Amino acid sequence: MTKIDTTADATEPETTEFVEESTSLVRQFGLTALAIFMALFCGALLLWAAGANPFVAYADMVKGVFTSPAAISLVMGDVVPLLTIGLGLMIAFRAKIWNIGAEGQFLLGALFGGAFAIYSPIEAPIFIIPMTLLVGTAAGAAWGWIVGFLRAHWGVNEVITSLLLVYVAGFIVVYAIRQPMRDPEYFLPQSAALPDTARLGDIPWLDVHAGLLIALALVPLTAYLVNRTSFGIRSLMLGYNPDGTRAAGVNTSKLTVRIMLISGGLAGLAGIMQVMGAETRITNNISPGFGFTAIIVALLGRLRPIGVFLAAVLIGVLNVGGDALQRSQGLPRAVVVVIQALFVIFLLIAERTGSR
Amino acid sequence: MTDRDQAGAHDNRTSAAPTDAGDGAPVVVAMKGIRRSFGDLLALDGVDFDLRRGEIHALLGENGAGKSTLMNVLYGLVSPDHGTIEVDGTPVEIDGPHAAIAHGIGMVHQHFKLVPRLTVAENIVLGDGGERWTRLPDLAEVSRRIEELSDRYGLEVPGDSYVWQLSVGQQQRAEILRALYHDARILILDEPTATLTPNEVEALLERLKGMAAAGSSIIIITHHLDEVMSSADRITVLRSGKYIATLKAAETSQSDLARLMVGRDLQEAALLEVQSGAAAGAGQHAQAGPPVLDVQNLTAYADPVGGPRRASSDDERVALEDITLQVSSGEIVAIAGVQGNGQAELEEVLLGLREVASGRIVLDGKDLAGATTSHVLDSGLGYIPSDRYRYGLISDLAISENLVIDRVDRAPYGSRFSRNFAAIRDNAISLIKSFSIAANSPKTPAATLSGGNAQKVILARSLRSDLSLLVAAQPTRGLDIGAIEFVWERLRRERDDGLGILLISTDLNEIMALAERCYVLYRGRLTESPMDRDSIGLAMGGANLTASGEVPV
Repeated sequence: MTKIDTTADATEPETTEFVEESTSLVRQFGLTALAIFMALFCGALLLWAAGANPFVAYADMVKGVFTSPAAISLVMGDVVPLLTIGLGLMIAFRAKIWNIGAEGQFLLGALFGGAFAIYSPIEAPIFIIPMTLLVGTAAGAAWGWIVGFLRAHWGVNEVITSLLLVYVAGFIVVYAIRQPMRDPEYFLPQSAALPDTARLGDIPWLDVHAGLLIALALVPLTAYLVNRTSFGIRSLMLGYNPDGTRAAGVNTSKLTVRIMLISGGLAGLAGIMQVMGAETRITNNISPGFGFTAIIVALLGRLRPIGVFLAAVLIGVLNVGGDALQRSQGLPRAVVVVIQALFVIFLLIAERTGSR
Repeated sequence: MTDRDQAGAHDNRTSAAPTDAGDGAPVVVAMKGIRRSFGDLLALDGVDFDLRRGEIHALLGENGAGKSTLMNVLYGLVSPDHGTIEVDGTPVEIDGPHAAIAHGIGMVHQHFKLVPRLTVAENIVLGDGGERWTRLPDLAEVSRRIEELSDRYGLEVPGDSYVWQLSVGQQQRAEILRALYHDARILILDEPTATLTPNEVEALLERLKGMAAAGSSIIIITHHLDEVMSSADRITVLRSGKYIATLKAAETSQSDLARLMVGRDLQEAALLEVQSGAAAGAGQHAQAGPPVLDVQNLTAYADPVGGPRRASSDDERVALEDITLQVSSGEIVAIAGVQGNGQAELEEVLLGLREVASGRIVLDGKDLAGATTSHVLDSGLGYIPSDRYRYGLISDLAISENLVIDRVDRAPYGSRFSRNFAAIRDNAISLIKSFSIAANSPKTPAATLSGGNAQKVILARSLRSDLSLLVAAQPTRGLDIGAIEFVWERLRRERDDGLGILLISTDLNEIMALAERCYVLYRGRLTESPMDRDSIGLAMGGANLTASGEVPV
């Protein structure tokens, strides 16, 4: 029996090597190209079946994204939340802490940050902008903390808690904008608008709010955090081998809680930036599911900061291009969504195959 | 299908089955020349084994001797490379547990295979009927038969209870009942006493004797000598995959068995050499320095059965009971014992990974009971874990990272907000050289290393300059002779330089080769034993050490 055991011991947890730069970059590149081609090909079949000329349709899509400045700012508008949340999820996923509740952390960041801005007696931008960002981040972090604490101290599965807390957060938002924060001037339940001083202005020459700068700055910041701090290496250790990490003297409970604080905090930051830059008030649809799409962004980005950035751009392009396609070809929304999904699926297949 | 085979079995039993001239009881199972290898490892090397009707036959051997593999062959879980199996004198091919059950063979595994959320009756009929669309058997009828069986064999198990409600002993009885329900007349029990309390052990052995008297044939896999002597009729000893001897319990003694199990005379030349060197070394270093580790009345609990956090307090088993031991600087003190007697828990408690229920652990004058692992490591304890892939390495990370995982935020390797990759690389290059670790580059993942080289990485990391005690648990398990020699040599050198070493080992050769003093851990209790093979071997099997005056309480 011992002998069988030794062979069983030899099959260690699967090696998902996403940190060391893969030696087969060329192969990976080829696989990615193949995946994009396959997605385009299957998408073409679908478009053809839906009665559109695939070539014309794809041309519309490209035109819709890259020829109008408005479209580029639309893409960037999606990139801000997707990138910010995606970087936070990357930090959690590297430790194999599967925070899939970023949507809830995003919503609470939006709500509490927004509430602070609306009710703050001081409206000077120098105070209200950083404080609002901080409150939003803290609200998201607090929602993440619950998940981290439960997992660290009672071993409660974070997939379940983080997901269920999304619904709790959603209902809190609905309650807030129907009851205490409701703007009575409007028929639809929504909060009052944020004071002008609390809004993130547009970047000059670009029709995108300044949240983009924050999101972009987070790329090198998180890269430093995961690659060049003891927190980063310990997170990775925790993901690979929790027992070994404990035996190396790491307080894994504390680490788990910290990871969830950061992961939730970034989602909360994305939420409040969305309110301060794009929505200007808290409504029932602040998020078209950014928190969930960001899971794909983090995974597609292979849990590397630059990768997450590229993945966020790709998803943004697919969103905006899909909308253009819908308009120009009069295609049903479903076809567009399926084409987007094809890209994600084939790219994930390529990524998994490449990491073998 | 069981019914048909049952009928056949009855015919066989009444017809002329091959009998042993000596005892008269017919041989029900004969395994001949069983050979099986796993990769390079020869787990069974032409082993013979036979079982007579109505006997309890103990299969004895150290960890890795091949006992479980042999029984897995009989139960159809492992197919032999060579060899034949006869049941009731007829050659049979057992290509899976279904075939084994059809021949009347049942097995109770060390780790029970019961579904906690189903009742005993449901568990017993679970997997019945090979056909996919058959209806479930009538559970009331099943319960009735279970009751009948439990009455007949004295195996009280409430058939309608859920398995999660049962104690470990009851679960085991349910497993035995499952085998009997499927008309097993040949019963294999793999380490049946490993998880039982002493009272439960006694009760189980009584019941097994009763079953044997009623005509069942029973094989017990074990390494507890006292159980063997008190329950078995015959004993077969295996060592390193080889058949050593079959003896009548009435005609042998615990010390004979210990000797056969451990195999004094079967030394590899290289090991012998190293060993004789050690004997000389042991003499020189008998004068130990001041005490570095002082453990007083340490008690700790094992993980409750059924998951670490679920069970209530009455499921708590004591893993370490009132342990007292000392290690001085410049000496190697061994903790001998068969795996599963508290070694894993002792490692974890010393490292701060497991809670201390009571008692003191004093390292260099500092009480470390209840301290965090990082505090323990900082206090000068080095650690070579018995499970090197679980506690020793982060296999997916580079070798260079593995060499500093316990010091990532310490100078010169980094601080809280920075890492010094040059220092990490230089450290790796120098350790790879001084410990001759066979690796392509410091960046290679530790997972690619062979067992011996993986162990060298752990050794290199653990042997820091500021160490006062090294806990080395199974430091050479699974290593080849070259690597064993390397590790032993290194441990001796550290001892000579004044390090105190606590060697937790199940390998008597290793203990004899390295240690100056020895304790034996048996069922969570520790007794000091004189440094000779027979005494240690006996104590490992739980025998009273009356000769030496050390009597376990």
